[in-house]
Amino acid sequence: MPLLEVTDLIAGYGRVEVISKISFSIEAGKSVGIVGPNGVGKSTLLQAIAGGISPSGGSIKLDGVDIKGKKPEDIVRLGLSLVPEGRQIFSGLSVKENLALGLTGRKDKKGSVEAILKMKELFPVLSTHENHQAGMLSGGQQQQLAIARALISEPKVLLLDEPSLGLAPTVIDDVFDRLKQIIALGTAVVIVEQRANLVTTFAEETLVIRDGHVQSRLTPADAANLASLEKSYFGAGE
Amino acid sequence: MIQSILDAISLGGLYALAALGLGLVFGVMRLVNFAHGELITIAAYMLVVTVNLPLIISLLLTVLVTAAVAFLMELTIYRRLRGVNPAIMLIASFGLSTVLQRVYELIFGALPKSAVVAPFLNGAFKFAGLSITISSVITIVLTVVILLAMGYLVEKTSLGLQLRAAAADFRTARLLGVRSNRLISAAFVLSGVLATCVAFILVVENPEVNPYYGVNITILALVGIVIGGISSLRGAALGGFVVGVILSALNTLLGNGRVYAYSWLFLLVLIILLVRPGGFLSKGSELERV
Repeated sequence: MPLLEVTDLIAGYGRVEVISKISFSIEAGKSVGIVGPNGVGKSTLLQAIAGGISPSGGSIKLDGVDIKGKKPEDIVRLGLSLVPEGRQIFSGLSVKENLALGLTGRKDKKGSVEAILKMKELFPVLSTHENHQAGMLSGGQQQQLAIARALISEPKVLLLDEPSLGLAPTVIDDVFDRLKQIIALGTAVVIVEQRANLVTTFAEETLVIRDGHVQSRLTPADAANLASLEKSYFGAGE
Repeated sequence: MIQSILDAISLGGLYALAALGLGLVFGVMRLVNFAHGELITIAAYMLVVTVNLPLIISLLLTVLVTAAVAFLMELTIYRRLRGVNPAIMLIASFGLSTVLQRVYELIFGALPKSAVVAPFLNGAFKFAGLSITISSVITIVLTVVILLAMGYLVEKTSLGLQLRAAAADFRTARLLGVRSNRLISAAFVLSGVLATCVAFILVVENPEVNPYYGVNITILALVGIVIGGISSLRGAALGGFVVGVILSALNTLLGNGRVYAYSWLFLLVLIILLVRPGGFLSKGSELERV
């Protein structure tokens, strides 16, 4: 049984339908990429799954439990975390406080200390800057903090909205290396990206979203020979 | 002179507490709760009505009732309006404020109710040859204690961390698991507790409680919040303090001209806002959020 199963999901803002009938599923320890040009509804899709907006149709099952229309604070407790677009770390709070906030979403408060230690092990830079204001970190460090903060609740499924945004290429590699480790530990990871090549190579399956629906599904094998095709979909460059 | 300074500090402290109550709710809901004044009013009424009970019982009852009113205010009115246009919430809070004033009038009558609350706080003592009122000293001590307690709560506890996070970005805080209903209720209850503290200090000095008792201080606390920077609790408290000190100083300095104290205060506020539109603790980027 898949860990996360999204079926015919419809969502939008007010009366404007942004995504129409999107379906996909993901299993533990796997990754799914979601690509497509600006404004096609990639972020809306993630927000609808995580509870940031209320879907108007379809179903979302997390480990067999229907989470459609639930509040985000309840969904995170059921085991699904979202790293939102632009990272959204609390820049005025310290790194430590940002991590502590991640603990609010934990179902089991007992393992809190261990969970924080585990994150510091996975992202050593966070312990060096523990008491600094999060806003003082570099973009890559902030991204690591945002991912660590989302992982502290020990989600079964992690959603990431454009983790590469505003990062230098070497830093992006670093972030994706961490994601590989996280996936290896059994977490299912869904990554929304503008950098189609990057994520198509990375993920087991990649959905190409166009005008709110799934236009095609790619595998890493498609990444190479589809590069030129993508250009025609997305316009020149990424 | 010493007495004037003490008066200024104690009035400043009082306004800081009122501003903090408003700031807590604004932080989590982006709501300027005009009905905060009516929390102060109900607390003052409770203190007067229960004056024959031992002070500690009277205070406990007052805190309970005021916090309950604050809690119900959110549960019955503001919760239903969450997510609507802020202007609508503002109008709703005006409406709620007026309705509560009428309700108080029905229950307690339009004429002021009065009683001497905590009589041991009235009077003066001699210190280094100067006569100093007990209430001004107690007010300062009480304010410092409450501000320190609030500071501890906001800076050191998990609830405080969640309040700060929610004030900065509620959406993201919820994604991390911060329970919105609980947190907003907690902010309202805390604002009720702060309203009780403010009412206690006010009632000791002016025991004539009428249905509009809390309006004046709420408006001035709002002025404090605006000049202190509406998005931070520290700014709110500091702004409230500054308004209290300025007002107290104006009252002393203007002598017979003190009827114009408010005019001078608002002129000063205007100048402050022209120089620092986001309040004096703000960073430039916070402007568009207000």
